[in-house]
Amino acid sequence: MTLVIVLIACLAGALLALLFKLGSFERKFSITSLSLFLALAPGWTFIWLLGRAPQVIATGVGGSQLEWSFAWLPSLGLNLSFYLDGLSLLFGLLISGIGVLILVYTGYYFKGDASAWRFLAYLLLFMAAMLGLVLAGDTITLFIFWEATSITSFLLVAYKYKDESARQGAFRALLITGGGGIALLAGLLLVQSIAGSSQWRVILNSGALIRGNDLYPLALALIAFGAFTKSAQAPAHIWLPGAMSAPTPASAFLHSATMVKAGIYLLARFNPALGNTDLWFWMLSLVGMLTMLTGAYLGLKQNDLKALLAYSTISQLGVMVMLIGQDTEIAFKALVVGILAHALYKSALFMVAGIIDHETGTRDLRQLGGIWRAMPATFSIALVGALSMAGLPPLFGFLAKETLLATVTHPSVPIVWDWIFTLAVVTAGALLLAQSGLLVAGAFLGKRPEGLSAHEAPAPMWLAPAVPAVASLLISALPEPASIAGLLASAAASAFGAKVKVSLALWTGLTVPLLLSIVAVSLGSLIFYFRNRVRNRLMSILPDFTFNRAYQGLLSGVDRAAYLVTRTQHGRLRSYLSVMISALGLLLLFLGRIPVVAPFIQAPRLDLSGELAVLRLFSLLLAVAAALATILLHRDLFAILALSASGLSIAMLLILEPAPDVAMVQIIVDLLLVVILVLALTRIPREQRDRARYYTFHQGGLSLARDIILAAGAGIVMTAVTYQALTSRPRQSILTPYYFENALPLTGAKDVVGAIVADFRGFDTMIEISVFAMAGIGVYTLLRYASRKAGDRDERSPAPAGQALKSLGIGGLNTSPFIRSVASAVLPLALVISATHLLLGHMQPGDGFTAGVIASLAVAFWYVIFGYDVTRQRLRWFKSPYLTGAGLLLALLNASVPLLLAQPIFSPLDYGAMLGISLPAGMKLTSALVFELAIAISVVGGVSAILDALGHPKDDDVDAIRHLQEIPPGE
Amino acid sequence: MDLLFSIAVGAMFAIGIFQVLRRNVIRSVIGLFILSNAVNLFLLSSGAYQGVVAAYVNGSSLTASDALPQALILTAIVISMGGLALVLSLVYILSVRYKISDADKIKKLRY
Repeated sequence: MTLVIVLIACLAGALLALLFKLGSFERKFSITSLSLFLALAPGWTFIWLLGRAPQVIATGVGGSQLEWSFAWLPSLGLNLSFYLDGLSLLFGLLISGIGVLILVYTGYYFKGDASAWRFLAYLLLFMAAMLGLVLAGDTITLFIFWEATSITSFLLVAYKYKDESARQGAFRALLITGGGGIALLAGLLLVQSIAGSSQWRVILNSGALIRGNDLYPLALALIAFGAFTKSAQAPAHIWLPGAMSAPTPASAFLHSATMVKAGIYLLARFNPALGNTDLWFWMLSLVGMLTMLTGAYLGLKQNDLKALLAYSTISQLGVMVMLIGQDTEIAFKALVVGILAHALYKSALFMVAGIIDHETGTRDLRQLGGIWRAMPATFSIALVGALSMAGLPPLFGFLAKETLLATVTHPSVPIVWDWIFTLAVVTAGALLLAQSGLLVAGAFLGKRPEGLSAHEAPAPMWLAPAVPAVASLLISALPEPASIAGLLASAAASAFGAKVKVSLALWTGLTVPLLLSIVAVSLGSLIFYFRNRVRNRLMSILPDFTFNRAYQGLLSGVDRAAYLVTRTQHGRLRSYLSVMISALGLLLLFLGRIPVVAPFIQAPRLDLSGELAVLRLFSLLLAVAAALATILLHRDLFAILALSASGLSIAMLLILEPAPDVAMVQIIVDLLLVVILVLALTRIPREQRDRARYYTFHQGGLSLARDIILAAGAGIVMTAVTYQALTSRPRQSILTPYYFENALPLTGAKDVVGAIVADFRGFDTMIEISVFAMAGIGVYTLLRYASRKAGDRDERSPAPAGQALKSLGIGGLNTSPFIRSVASAVLPLALVISATHLLLGHMQPGDGFTAGVIASLAVAFWYVIFGYDVTRQRLRWFKSPYLTGAGLLLALLNASVPLLLAQPIFSPLDYGAMLGISLPAGMKLTSALVFELAIAISVVGGVSAILDALGHPKDDDVDAIRHLQEIPPGE
Repeated sequence: MDLLFSIAVGAMFAIGIFQVLRRNVIRSVIGLFILSNAVNLFLLSSGAYQGVVAAYVNGSSLTASDALPQALILTAIVISMGGLALVLSLVYILSVRYKISDADKIKKLRY
C-alpha cells in the first residue's frame, strides 16, 4: 500500500509526545514508559519495511514497484511522491531499526525527567523527516525533508538550550547544513530542468543526458556541496564535533546512522545520474580522502569520548564519499557494507559513551579508567564495537575495511594515485585502530582514578547498544547470511546502477587487501602502543589551529562588514537624497546611452508654427517661472500660491491640448491642494516655520553649490531624456486608434478619456482609487497619532445638531457674512455639478474623478470658511470611513456583477437596457456609470479623511475657539 | 515644440529637486509636487500627435487629441494629491516630534 503510512506513524508518535505534555499525563505515566510506547512507531515501520524487502530485492535494478504520489501542484509538475528501492530500503531499515533502540535507550537516559517529552517529540519528528528524505520519490520532496532534518536536528542539538555551547553548536550545524541546503536546492532545480522531470524514475534514467549538458559541472558542484556539508566532509566537518553537545541519544542517532548519512545517501542516489565522470571521480575521491585523514588524525587528539567518536565518524564518512567516487562494482559493495557496519558499531559506541557519562558523570578520557569490573556488560559491548571500528576479524567492520582496501587497489585510476589512495587508506585504517584502542583502554582499562564511582547501567539501557554490537558480530560470523547479502546487493545495485554481487565471506584467501590490512593493523597497533607519546607529540603540533578558527573568522568578518555598511547610515537625510539622485542620474545616462550634448548642438530652430504655439510657449514659461518663484519667495504661503500658479499653467496647457476632462481635474485639484497645504501649514507653529525659513535662506555656500549642481545636472539629464523620448516617439499611436474605434461600440461612451479610465483600464483605476483611499486613511491615522503624542484629546465627536456654534474660519479668524452665504450656496451647487458630470460623463467632459474633486472642493471651502466644528456639525454625511468604504465596495461589487452572468470580471454591462429603463438622451445606466459613481464617492471619502485630519484644530486652538464661541454675538 | 517641452520638463525637474533638497521640509513638499507636475507635463507632451479638438467620438473630421496620455494624467493628478497629503501629515508629525521642520535636525534614522 502507500509508503506515506511510514511517515504518519512517526508523526503520530511526535503528536503523542506532545499530548503527553498537554494532557498532563506525566503524573500517570513515566517518561520511560512513554518512550517505550513510542518505540512502537519506528518498530512498526521497521517491520513494515522488512515485509517489503523480498519484493524490492526481486525487482532488481532501475525500478521500484513501490511508489506513491500525490499531485500537489500539477500545473508545475510538482508532486509529493515516495519511492522505495534497495537503497531507500537499506536506509529506511537502519533509521527505523536504530530508532527503536534509541527510543528504548532514551527512556532510561532521561529516566525521571518529565520534561523529556520535548526531546521525544523532536526525535520522532526527526525520524519522520529522515524517513521522508530516504523514501522521497522526487527532488522537491527530497529537498523539503532534507531541510526538515536540518531543522529538527537543530532542535535536538540545542535541546539543552540553557547551555551556551549547545546553542552555539546547534547554530553552527544549522548554518553549515542550511547553507549546503540552499546549494542543493539550486543543484536539484538544475538537474530537474535538464532531465525534464523531478521524478527519480526519470532522472535516474537520463544520466547520459545530464552528463552531456553544459550545466552538468555546476549542477554537480552544487549537489555535492549540499551533500558534503550534510555529511561533514572537510572542511565543513567542523559542525559535527560541535553538535556533540546534543544529548547522547541524539548523537547516537543523528551522528552515527542517520543525518550524517543523508549526504552519503544523496550522492549514492545520484550516482547513476551524475556519476561515472572524471569530475565526479576526482571531486569525491579527493574530498573523501582529505576528510578521512582529517578525521582520523584529529580524533587521536581528543580527550572527550564523544568528540573522539565524532572524529572517527567524520573519517568514516570520508571513506564512504571516496567509495562513491569510484565507479566500480566492488566500491559499491564496500559502500553498503560500510554503511551498515558503521551504523551498527557507531550507534553502539555512542550509546556506550552515554552510559559511561550517565553512570560516572564524566566522558573525559583523562578522568576515566579501570571501570571494566564495575560495568562488565557495557565493557563487552564497547569492546565488540571498538574491534569492529578497528576493522579486526571476525567482526563486520573487518569486512568493510577489507572491501575498502580491495577497492583502492583496483586498477581503474592512474598508478600514482592508486598508490596515494592506498597509502591514505592504510594510514587512516591504522589511525582508526589506534583510536578504537584508545577508546577502550582509556575508558575501561588501566588504573581507576580516585573518587570515580561507577556501576552498571539498568539492563534495557545496555541492551539497546548490545543489539547492534551483537548483530555486527553475527552478520560476519554466521555462514553467509543470504537475506542480508541480498538486501545489501539490492541497495548497492540501486546506487551503482547495475547489478552488484555481495558476498559476506570473511576468508577470501591470501589477497592484496588482506596483506594491506595486516600492514594497517600492525601500524595501528604500534601507534596504540606508543599512544601517550604520539598523542603528546600531536598535541604540540599546531595546538591552537582548528578549522573552527577559520569559521569564527568568517563569521566575525561578516559582522564587521555589516558594521561598516551600517556606518554609511549617518542620518543626514539630504545627503542620502543627493546620493540617490546622482546615482539615478548617472544610471540613466550610462545605461540609457542618452546623448546629452548632441541635441543642443544640432539644435533645431524654435518651431512656433503649430496652432496655438505661442500660447503653449507662454504657458510653459509661466509654469517654469512660477515653479522658480517657489524657491525665491520667502514666505511659505506665497510659495504655496506660486506652486498653485504653476499647476494652473499646466492646466492651461491641458486646455490647449485640448484635454478638457483632465484640465478640469487639474484646476480643481490645484485649488484643493492650496487648501490642504494651508491647513497643514497652520498646524506647524509659526516660530518653527520662521526658524526653518531662516536656515533655508542662510545656507552655507558649499552645500548650496552642491544642491545647485545636483539640481542643474538632474535638469539637464531630464531634458535630454525627454528630448530623446519625444523626438524618437512614433507619430502614429498604436493604442489610441483602438480606443477611438472601440469606445462607442464596446463601452457606449463618446468621451474616449472617460472610456479608458472607467472601462478599458478599469482595473487600474480601481487600484488607483484604492491607493487614494489608503492615502486618505494614512493621513487620518498619522495625524490622530500625532495628536495623541502632542497630548490632544483623543476623541472629538461633532457638536450636537441643535447647539449653535459660531463660524470661525482658518486660525479662528472671523469670516464675513457675505462669504459665508456664498459658501452655503456653493456646496449644493457643486453637488449638482458633480451629479451632472457623473450622469453625462460618458458623452461629455467629466467623469468620476471630476465629480469627486468638485464635491470635495466645495467641502474644503466650508472647512476654510466655517471651520472644523461647524462643518462637522452641519455635514454629518461627510464621514471618511463610510464614504471610502462605500466607494470601494461599490466598485468591487460593480466589477463582480458580470461574474454572475458568466462574463469576465469588469465586463461592461448596460443595466438600463437590461432592465428596460428609458433614460433621457445622453444618459446611460451602464456599469461604467456605477463605477464612476464609486470613483466619485471614494475620492470624496479620501479627501474628507485628509480634510478631517488636517482641518482638525489642535487643542490650543480649540480652546481659543471654544472660548470665543462662548461669547454671545454682539458683545 | 519638442525642444521647448523638453527644456520646460528639465527646468521643472531641476527646480523640484532643488526644492526637495532644502532644509525646510515644507519646501521639500513643494518640491515633490513640482516634480509630479513635471512628470505630468512629460506625459502630456508624449502624446503621439497634436489634436485640434478634444478626444470625443463625434464624427468630426478634425484630428482629436491623443486620449491615452490624458487618461494617464487624469489618475496621476488625483493620486499625487493623496500622496502629497500623506507627505504633509508626515511633515506635521515631524514637527510635533522634533519641534522643528529642519531636515538636517531629523537624525533619528541613524544607525
